[in-house]
Formats: sequence, structure tokens, C-alpha cells
Amino acid sequence: MNIQIKGLGIICAIGNDAPSVLASLKAKKSGVGPMQYLQSKHNELPVGEVKLSDDEMKKMLGVEPDAIISRTTLMGAISLRQAVEDAKLDLTGKRVAVISGTTVGGMDITERYFQQMKEDNTLLSILEKHDCGASTRDIADLAGLKDAEVITISTACSSAVNSIILGSEMLNAGEVDVVFAGGAEGLSKFHLNGFNTLMILDQEQCRPFDKTRAGLNLGEGAAFVALEKNLNPQPSTLNPFIGGYGNRCDAFHQTASSEDGEGAYLAMTDALEMAGLNPEDIQYINAHGTGTPNNDPSESAAIRRVFGDKQPYVSSTKGFTGHTTSASGSIETVISILAMQNDFVPASYGWKEQDEACITPSLGEENVKLDNVICNSFGFGGNDSSLIISKKHKGDLPETLNSFAQNIREISSNVIDDLEQLKDFKEFISPMEARRMGKLMKAATLTSMRALKEAGIECPDAIITATANGMLEFTEKFLEDIDANGEELLKPTLFMQSTHNTLGSAIAIRTKCHGYNITYSQGADSFEIAMRDAERLIKTGKANNVLVGYHDESTPLFQSFAERLGKPVPPMIYSKSVVLTKE
Amino acid sequence: MEELILQLKNQIIEALNLEEMEPEEIETDAPLFGNGLGLDSIDALELIVLLEKNYGIKLKNPAEGKEIFKSVACIAEYVQQNRTK
Repeated sequence: MNIQIKGLGIICAIGNDAPSVLASLKAKKSGVGPMQYLQSKHNELPVGEVKLSDDEMKKMLGVEPDAIISRTTLMGAISLRQAVEDAKLDLTGKRVAVISGTTVGGMDITERYFQQMKEDNTLLSILEKHDCGASTRDIADLAGLKDAEVITISTACSSAVNSIILGSEMLNAGEVDVVFAGGAEGLSKFHLNGFNTLMILDQEQCRPFDKTRAGLNLGEGAAFVALEKNLNPQPSTLNPFIGGYGNRCDAFHQTASSEDGEGAYLAMTDALEMAGLNPEDIQYINAHGTGTPNNDPSESAAIRRVFGDKQPYVSSTKGFTGHTTSASGSIETVISILAMQNDFVPASYGWKEQDEACITPSLGEENVKLDNVICNSFGFGGNDSSLIISKKHKGDLPETLNSFAQNIREISSNVIDDLEQLKDFKEFISPMEARRMGKLMKAATLTSMRALKEAGIECPDAIITATANGMLEFTEKFLEDIDANGEELLKPTLFMQSTHNTLGSAIAIRTKCHGYNITYSQGADSFEIAMRDAERLIKTGKANNVLVGYHDESTPLFQSFAERLGKPVPPMIYSKSVVLTKE
Repeated sequence: MEELILQLKNQIIEALNLEEMEPEEIETDAPLFGNGLGLDSIDALELIVLLEKNYGIKLKNPAEGKEIFKSVACIAEYVQQNRTK
């Protein structure tokens, strides 16, 4: 693999650029602390905030102070701009893609004005900046990449690593010349309260892998890497290579990891195999290590399964940054690159006491040569991804794309475009399952299961989901819940069904599919991006059959917003699933 | 106690969206999780919200719910001993 990291940018709780992040890591100085910028009732919860106000970030970007821009977009643009400057690539005439991971998107702004938007037409433009895809478009534009293609991935907390994986695949296939891949996520009351309903937020500084760990601290930030194919690669510490990667699904539960860490195990194993490396070739693992009672033993089990008694240094850097959710994958990839460039192992900040169920993390090492590191990133729904960064390239991948002339065929398809059609849900969904499902989940389940049945496939090789707005119904209900109950006594069921990747992971759980699983959210382009990915998977031989779904819903309130904006009114439900195979 | 048990069953049906169930279909002593009614960890979180909302009982750690939520009878007993409203 000769895809090289040509530059990077980062902003998070421990620094507004790479040098300051590096200094904080070396000084073992955490950025988690009392809430300064987020306006939440739950200010007892420590958070890893970027130490800049919205206004300060706007000033850095040269944006008008009264412009309404989400923190996700502001932080994304700052770090993307750094990556562009650091890479110093001549982009003239080049095909450039910006791939970003986010789940929250413009939520911090939406939640601030949600009630007012019901009355005030002048605030409705906020809605157009709410979705994930719009945020990425703005990030690219603000960073001076107006001509770049943009793609947004929304697989919750593994989103940003999946961006880097997709970027590598697109470069390898010759679809683009330069990719800026990463993720951005600003803190919002919405997801702080959401994680709080799941009772996985620690009231104190988080302690990943520690026996006394009691949950995670939410953080925020953004990071991007510049990727380019190098036709004459030489080993490089300054500009390491993408060694390999794996994207798998735990297919176990919407919000919990399996005890044996199956998804994580498969992701790491795939990455090693792709990189042509043995476990003993890895010197450092930047663990997902959130500090929740559930994640850490599950990830430890997976690491023990892969590495046995040859365990490399492992640390979670979330004690420094907080859990930056959709951005964590690229923030931790950049931290791993900084570690490699500067010959050290970042500490697993906060760890003191051994838990038998967990690995023993490193408290920091100096003067260690890191030739190959793994960065783990796992998300809700079991969207588990692992990425290997290497000083040496491993040779070209077979030019499968050019040599494959095979055709791809759609062998089955199913559509639901009317709420009436949902009454047949009992065909595949039991009442116990249905009680928790919104209409979009029912529709997606029905069209997916029918398309698979028609194709004669029980478990597809891969599941790819496209959605412009995701789980609108439950998102809206949770927003109303927050406002009506003043951030108290909220319903976890609403939050757990509000992330975009809920759909794809629910289908994976239902079909026991541990294969590749991804969710795209790029407005009207989402389905086309998903189909391109499915074709890429089949043409590169990574899958023989792929389930692709496009699912979107509306609500009476959302429809009224569209009407008042003079835009086409979105249908209450649209779900289409197709199964693709090679000819 | 009988009254509290019936009230709890109705509240459980509402909180967990068990629309098609009647209170008498939930056996008072049968396990709610696993092989019984088949509830899971998210339901346990909903039950924690239910206890706080209706009875002023605050559980700090979801693990505490394990014993309390064994059956409706267990919940009723716990509520009777610990309710603040």
C-alpha cells in the first residue's frame, strides 16, 4: 500500500494545533475539566472542550462574527486548513475529495434555536446547516477547498477512521488524486444528555482500563490527514503510510460491545492481514478505550485474542481529550502519527488500578521506535474499525480495479414510500422489537429483509446505508424531551435510536452480519455515494454481495419547516433496499 | 401492595412501549429480563428513569438495577422501602 500521509491538522481539548497537542501529550496534561462553553444544566460533568469560544474560532477563520456556524464546522475548518497548509500539495488540476465523519453535525446550533424555529422564519436557514453533509460542505469551503468533492460518513464513534479508510480506497482505485480525510464533532446538549441517559458518563476524570472506571468524559474536536498515492515510496517517519485497515460489525447490540470483542477482533485481524504484518510487528495500539465499564474489557478481550502474550504498548488517549465521538478516529490517528514521528508512547492518562478483565495500559514511554501502530475506533451499533499506520509502505495492492472487467448486477430491490405499507411489519418484526422502532427503522428493516429474501441471501457480505437526515423522528422527540423536561429524566430509548448508523447496525444485528458496515449522510448524494462504495467493494473482491439501503423519513414539524422555506416537502417515509452482486 | 404492583405494571407497559400487553399478562414473580419478558439493558435504563420520575428513587449505578429489576415483585418491594414520593 503506497498511500502516504502528507500532512495533518488537529484541534481538541489539549491543543489547537499539532505542536500544542504534542506538548500536552508529552507533559501528560489533560484537557478534561469543568464545562466552559457548552450551555448545559449538567455542568457537574467534566468535558474535554476545545479551549476556544465560537467567536474566537470565527476570528481564526476570518468569518463574520454574527454568522451562525456550528462548532463542528468551525473546528473541522480549522483543522482541515492546517492539514492543507501542512501538506503543501499543489492542488491545481487535481481531483480532490474531503471526507469527514460526523454524527452531531450542526446540532449545537439547531438545539439552541429549535423552539424559536417553530415561529421565526428568519431562523429556518439554520435547518439547511443542520445535517451532517451540509457541515462537511461548509468545512471544505471554509478551508478553501470549494471545488473538492465532499463525502460524509456517519458511523457514530468510528466515523473518522472510516473516512481515512474510504479515502485510501478511493485513492487506490484512482478515483481521486488527493484526499483530506478525518472527522469533526462539536459538543452539544443533545448528545451530552443522550450519553447521560445511557448512564455511561463519569462524574470525574475518566480512567480507561482502570478497575474503578465509571464511564467516559465527552470531548470535542476535529482532525484531518492529507492522503496521496506515492508512486516511488521510501520509508518515512515524517510522512508515514496507511498500512492496512479493517471495518467490521460486532452485530451484537445497539449500544453495547460483545464480551469477546468479536467486531474489534475481526477489524484488527483484517488490518494486520491487509498490511502483511504479524501481531509482533505492532509496537503500539491507540485503543478506543472509552473508560466505560463495557467497552474496556470487550476491547481488552479482542486485543488478547489478536496479540496473545506478545501485546504491544496500549494506551487510550481519551483521558487527555475526552471522547471526541465521531472525530475520535482521526484525532487519535493524528496522535498516533505524532507518537511515531517523535518516538514516544502517549500515556493512558488516568489509569491507576489493574482490572483483571482489562489489559494493562502504558503510562507513557520515551525513546521508543514505532514502526507500525494500530488505531482502534469503535462505534454504537458495533461499527468497529482499525487502522494501521506504518513507516514503510508494503508494496502496491494488486491493481484489481483495472483488471476486473466484471459487471455488477442488481439482483433484488424493495421500496416503501407510503406509511400504509408499514402495517405489514409483522412479516419480519416481532411486537417486542417493534415497540421500540420508529417508522424509519421499520421501513428499513422491511425493505432490507425483503430484498435479501428475494435475493436468497440470509447474511450479506456487507451492509451500506445512505440517509440524508437520519432518524428525524427520534431526534426530534429527544430534542422535545430535553426542552420539556429541562435535561432531566430523559428517555434513553429515544437517544439510542437517534444516530444515523442505527439503521445499518440493526440490520447487521438481525442478519448476524460481521462484514463491512458503513453509513453515508451527504444530502441528496448519499445513495449514489453508497452505490459507488458497493461497486468498489465488489470490484476489489472484498465482497461478493452487498446490501445497499437508502432510508429517509420526515415528521409533521419537518414538513412544515420545508413548506415555510418554500422547498419541496419531503415524504413521510422513503426506504429502498437493493442487493448487488458480481455478474 | 397489590395496588402498587398493578400501578407498576401499568407504568412499565407505558415506559417500555409494551402496547399490546395488559397488566395481567406480566407475571408478578416472573423474571423481567432474559428468558422471562425478554427485556434488555436499555429497558433497565428506562426502568431507572421510571423509578426516579414516579417514586423519587435515584439509582446512581445501572448495576444496582440488576437485583431490583428481577421481577415486578422485587421492584414493588424496593419501591415500598425506598420511595420518597
